[in-house]
Amino acid sequence: MPKHPLSRIELLQGTLDFIILQTLRWGSRHGYGIAQMIRATSNETLQVDTGSLYPALHRLERKKWIEAAWDLSENRQRVRVYRLTAAGRKQLAVERTRWEQISQAIAGIMRPPSTETKS
Amino acid sequence: MIRRHEPRDDRAAALDEEIRAHIAMATADRIARGESPDDAAAAARREFGNIGHIKEVTREAWGGMWFERLRQDTRYAWRTLARAPGFAAVAILTLALGIGATVAMFSVVNGILLRPLPFKDPNRLVLASYGLPRSLFAPKPGMVESQYLAYAEHAKLVESVASAGEHHVTLSGSGEATRLTGADVTPGLFGVLGVHPAIGRTFVDDDAEGGDAVIIGDGLWHERFGGAANVVGKPITLDGVRHTIVGVMPPAFNFPFNAKVWSPIKIVINPHESRLRTVIARLAPNVTPRQALAEVTAIIGPMPTPFGQNARFNPEVIPLRDLVVGDIKRSLYIFGGAVFFVLLIACANAANLLLMRATTRRHEIAVRVALGADRWRLIRQVLTESTLVAFLAGIVGLAVASAGVRALVSLAPPGLLPRADDVHIDLAAFAFTAAVCLVTGIGFGLAPALQITRKNLGSNISGTGRAIAGSRGALRAGFVVAEIALALILLTGAGLVIRSFLQLRSVELGFQPKPLVAMTLDLPAARYKDATAIHQLQDRLLENVAHLPGVISAAAVNWRPLGGALVKGDFKLPNEVRPPDGMNLSKPAITPGYFATMGIRLIAGREFTKDDDARSTNVAIVSKSVAEKLWPGRSPVGQLISSSSKPTAKDWLTVVGVVDDVVQGSVREQRDEAMYQPIAQINEPFFLNHISVVARAANDPGSLATSMRDAVHAIDIDQPVQSLGSMTSLISSTIAEPLFQARLLAVFSLCALFLAAIGIYGVLAYAVTERTREIGIRVAVGASSTAVVRMVVGRTFVLAIAGIAVGWIVSLELTHVLSSLLFHTKPTDPATFGLVGALLFLVALVATIIPARRATRVDPLIALRNE
Repeated sequence: MPKHPLSRIELLQGTLDFIILQTLRWGSRHGYGIAQMIRATSNETLQVDTGSLYPALHRLERKKWIEAAWDLSENRQRVRVYRLTAAGRKQLAVERTRWEQISQAIAGIMRPPSTETKS
Repeated sequence: MIRRHEPRDDRAAALDEEIRAHIAMATADRIARGESPDDAAAAARREFGNIGHIKEVTREAWGGMWFERLRQDTRYAWRTLARAPGFAAVAILTLALGIGATVAMFSVVNGILLRPLPFKDPNRLVLASYGLPRSLFAPKPGMVESQYLAYAEHAKLVESVASAGEHHVTLSGSGEATRLTGADVTPGLFGVLGVHPAIGRTFVDDDAEGGDAVIIGDGLWHERFGGAANVVGKPITLDGVRHTIVGVMPPAFNFPFNAKVWSPIKIVINPHESRLRTVIARLAPNVTPRQALAEVTAIIGPMPTPFGQNARFNPEVIPLRDLVVGDIKRSLYIFGGAVFFVLLIACANAANLLLMRATTRRHEIAVRVALGADRWRLIRQVLTESTLVAFLAGIVGLAVASAGVRALVSLAPPGLLPRADDVHIDLAAFAFTAAVCLVTGIGFGLAPALQITRKNLGSNISGTGRAIAGSRGALRAGFVVAEIALALILLTGAGLVIRSFLQLRSVELGFQPKPLVAMTLDLPAARYKDATAIHQLQDRLLENVAHLPGVISAAAVNWRPLGGALVKGDFKLPNEVRPPDGMNLSKPAITPGYFATMGIRLIAGREFTKDDDARSTNVAIVSKSVAEKLWPGRSPVGQLISSSSKPTAKDWLTVVGVVDDVVQGSVREQRDEAMYQPIAQINEPFFLNHISVVARAANDPGSLATSMRDAVHAIDIDQPVQSLGSMTSLISSTIAEPLFQARLLAVFSLCALFLAAIGIYGVLAYAVTERTREIGIRVAVGASSTAVVRMVVGRTFVLAIAGIAVGWIVSLELTHVLSSLLFHTKPTDPATFGLVGALLFLVALVATIIPARRATRVDPLIALRNE
């Protein structure tokens, strides 16, 4: 399989869920749109594999964090759009708090102590 | 809004549409960026990825996927099986035999051992006992009257308690007089058991205070009263005394002692006569037998013992089931083990079939792998297929089992299986079958599934499907070796039991059972009050029997050999000479002509004659080993011996002859040391009222039996005949259980042998097909047909020898579980081992014949053209 010029970052399952919920915060969106949005907002760094995206969407739907409805796209095609539910919003808040804690913790670990740095 | 539980097909369609839309939008974006429509569509598809895979992983997120998959897999498995009917038929039939045998055996075990007794809360019912250690003289658990009364009064851990004693009664009146087993029971027994009468009532306390109430069993009700509903209140004559029927018990109720009639009894303490009585207790809820045992010991332990100061006691609390089920348990467990082996062999066969098929399906599997099926999915597919085969086999197996259960029960000699009426295929058997199917399905599918789906299958797509004997061949060979080993173990077990049975059959009895007819009578004390009356009856009877046509000679004995009763006792020698420690003598009383009639060899001295009567010197004849032990090197004739504990002058018996030792008690034991006395010199009715007449027939003992019964009734129409038959049949009934064991194990091991033969045949036949090309080449370059046969047979040799060796080694470890069943046969009996090994080897060779012949007919041109 040809490599994408920007090396793809594998997303952990929980992280993908978080990103999807975050993406849907600004309104309902279809699967393709979510993928495009993630790619765009991450400056093309994050490439969501469809094999991860659709199971994640259906899983979140099953958990009732998002719900789906049929809509028509710009070129008059029936598309399935997803939007956040109240439970999804709540979950998003939880995930965000958790994410901030984790990213701070990781940042702390990654930042090398100044005394031991050699340049 | 999408409904939550929309049908799966709709959801699948929705997912399709969702994906189509995704690709369409991606394509549109690409076109908008300036790509040509064709390139854009292709790129969008490529970017999207493997659609089938993505659909599948998405569907998994729906949950409940396992069911959907199962449905798909089952449908697929069904189609696969339908495409290979030969494989399906052989696999299903092979497994059906194994499953059928297993279910049949389960039904027998379930009916006899597992299903609850037909009492209320049977697990709380126990026998309480404070008897002497079990021995010849105290064969049953129980308590004497005083102990029972104390226990019934003080026991706190039991809800209720009752007592029962066995007694035999003579039923007379309408129809032929019969000897019945009865139980005298405290009125509460039926309440303790929680059983209710079919009609009428059970006993109340007043019944035991006098009166004539009895309860009859269902069998007696039908035999004697035609099942009439108005039987309650009718009279019935037992031991010549009139009683009134107050109730009829339901069918199959015959507790305890297989009783046919129950009479009420009040337990009182009689200082002169105490009897060990069976005590049945219902434990209070949540009381363990162990706690109950402690209570029995606490209550009865301090009481004065009725058995003398030095007697050792054996307090016991025995679950009632153990008494009802008795000794058959061990046999049933062994049969269970045997049938498990049969099932294992059937599984090995089915697994092998699956492996062989897998080889032909490699192409298909490789294609599926290439299309993105993961390994687990393929394994599950194979397992679904094997489980489907197992369930189809289970359906056939149930049919096999329902026939098999009847066959199994009918293999048992009459009366051997307790609760035989409870044996049938029921819901539990269905559930068991389903469980067996599931386990066997997965069991026999697993190894093939792992094997088939091994990596590096990709190369098989391009391959021609030609097999290379590799690890898969080794697995198949392993299965065959296992089958041969299992069959060998089972056959060895069966061989040992059969050999042991033959040993039992060929025990030197010390007398000639052919063609003897034996008839046993129990003379009721009410009618035959003293020795004179009994002697008169016996003389007349012998006279009549001796003159029957076809009778060579006739004689009487109080306890005939192998008659189920054995009276043994100690004896005294003159001049204070102490008999050897522990030496007991069997003491039959006989009429003149007994030894000649029985065919017992007279070694020295003389037989009794008519002159050895009450007026002449008291005489005795001893058996050979008695003479050798007591008077070694001396002539026993003329010696004195007494069976009285304090002999007076008239108690001394003069030995007049020596005869051969005879098996008196059981064919399993040593021949008994015996001291015979003339019946005419015995006066105690106890030694006389049980009597057997033996007649040596000129030819056919069968017809003689009828005329002997008539001879009894010509003298006393109310005298029942307790047992009557040719001596050989009476003896074989004493070895009914070993006979059953031998028959059953023989049947199972034949099944095993048959299955193993099929297994060997299958593998070799397949190996020949697989190697057709190789054989073709060999023939083409000049190999003779002998060489080809040698090649095929050589493989069998290796497999058979490996299987036999493994089987032998395991058998050496396993057969000791049989040792308690075996009579004069070592669990490692070399003859049996050798014979069974040879038999299996032979079967393996026979199974090779067809494949070997086919191998010799391989046409090299056709074989090579197949490439």
